[in-house]
Amino acid sequence: MKKDLLMLGLAAVLILLLVSGTKFQSVEDYYLTHADDITDESDTVTVSIECGTVLKNWEQLDQALREGTHIPKDGFILAPKEYVLRKGDTAFDLLKRITRYEQIQLEYQGEEKNPYGSVYIKGIQYLYEFSCGPLSGWVFQVNGSTGKTGCSRYYPKDGDVLRFVYTCDLGRDIAREDGEGDSCEKSH
Amino acid sequence: MKNHTDVLIVSQNEVPSFGYLCRSVTNSSDGRRELEVRAAPSRKRSGMEIFMNEFSRRHPAVLFLYYLLVLFLTMFAVHPAALAASFGGAFLFYLAENGVKTAMKDLAYYCGVFLLLAVLNPIFSHNGETVLFFMNDRPVTMEAILYGAAMAAMIVSVIFWCKCYQTVLTTDKVLYLFGKTVPRLSLVLSMSLRFFPLLKEQAGRIGKAQKAMGMYAKDSLTDRLLFHVRLFDSLLTWMLENAVETADSMKARGYGLKGRSHFSLFRFEKRDGTLLGAMGILTLGTGAAAIGGMYRFHYYPGISAMQTGLWAVASDLLLVLLFLLPFLIDVKEKILWKISLR
Repeated sequence: MKKDLLMLGLAAVLILLLVSGTKFQSVEDYYLTHADDITDESDTVTVSIECGTVLKNWEQLDQALREGTHIPKDGFILAPKEYVLRKGDTAFDLLKRITRYEQIQLEYQGEEKNPYGSVYIKGIQYLYEFSCGPLSGWVFQVNGSTGKTGCSRYYPKDGDVLRFVYTCDLGRDIAREDGEGDSCEKSH
Repeated sequence: MKNHTDVLIVSQNEVPSFGYLCRSVTNSSDGRRELEVRAAPSRKRSGMEIFMNEFSRRHPAVLFLYYLLVLFLTMFAVHPAALAASFGGAFLFYLAENGVKTAMKDLAYYCGVFLLLAVLNPIFSHNGETVLFFMNDRPVTMEAILYGAAMAAMIVSVIFWCKCYQTVLTTDKVLYLFGKTVPRLSLVLSMSLRFFPLLKEQAGRIGKAQKAMGMYAKDSLTDRLLFHVRLFDSLLTWMLENAVETADSMKARGYGLKGRSHFSLFRFEKRDGTLLGAMGILTLGTGAAAIGGMYRFHYYPGISAMQTGLWAVASDLLLVLLFLLPFLIDVKEKILWKISLR
């Protein structure tokens, strides 16, 4: 019986550790954040989240999303807007903070879970990778050109324009739009 | 262990597991363990039980086709009605084959499996409109939970179909079907499918032998765990040996050689034709309903509305009928048997 008690205790400690290491928040608590006020000396970046390519490839889109109301008709999930850049912020930190403030759904794969050593954006606003054809997913651009690193490895500067864009053709459709020759990488 | 030296040591293979019950009991006067051997109560077989497997008496080819169809439909089903029909059909069939007691015990166990699987999905998937709460800054959504439940239902139904498979498509039937055309594959298939029931049987035997030797007989959880570790250890060796022996034995019989003849009692009868016809009609009906979009359903980002109306109900009924075929055949025969006894 002593051995049993020991095992029970061990199991209880394990469960306690698991629960105490987990943060539970209600929906209201989670979304209760404030945007930093823009002052004269604060660094700012312009951020937008766009899915215009989906509108052009409407017939490829998942039926569930086609029937739903989540894809904005103008192609802007988040219209370009200025946000305060905190010191040491990566592009991904910004995206996470902004989506939380604007209450936009975001799912990502952590840095440690993929070989790129950078966060991979799986879906924004219920629009996921492969939601619009086999070559679709999220990419990100800085000042009109595709970043050479993942979004959690890029440190924006004051005045940068960040665009998170949904592609239906591995970035080629966005490059065509912007008049660029080379193709983009996915935003990992 | 020091108390156990006077216990009769029986090697694992010699423990009489058929017709006798062996167990170690604690002597009430001096606390020593003793081996008790009793004749096992003979299993009563009522007339009912003989006719329980009516469905499995159909022609092997038809049974195999039915299994292919059912597993295929279940594995690709996302519609809750289809999943419910599949689970209902599998469980009722299992109940008809194995009796209420076994079925209920298994149902309780697989309820646990179902819950575990259903809870796992929202940990990994954060899609869905209806956020319940945030866990480590990641949303736990109702849609993810429901999708997890659907997938869990799918897995549990497939498990129940496969549990029935053992009694329906026995080794001889599989060998009859494919022994000539693909001898190697069919032998491997039937051996691997027979594997787990056989393993369970042997585990019971080894367990009895261990208990008879007075090992791990305390009522302690840790002891029981160690017992299972030891059991698994010896089971593993037996398993490998058994596979080699079976292969050798089949080879010695000239299995798979050219010109080897088979004997079997399977004949395609009228009732097999009827079953095949019913299967064909129901499959065509469900296929048409699927093309018509009656089984379309999605969980992300929001749960889609259920189709209503006469056609939706009719297409759901088609699936229910298809999945219930084995149970209905079993029950029909049972009722006929009962009436004939009056």
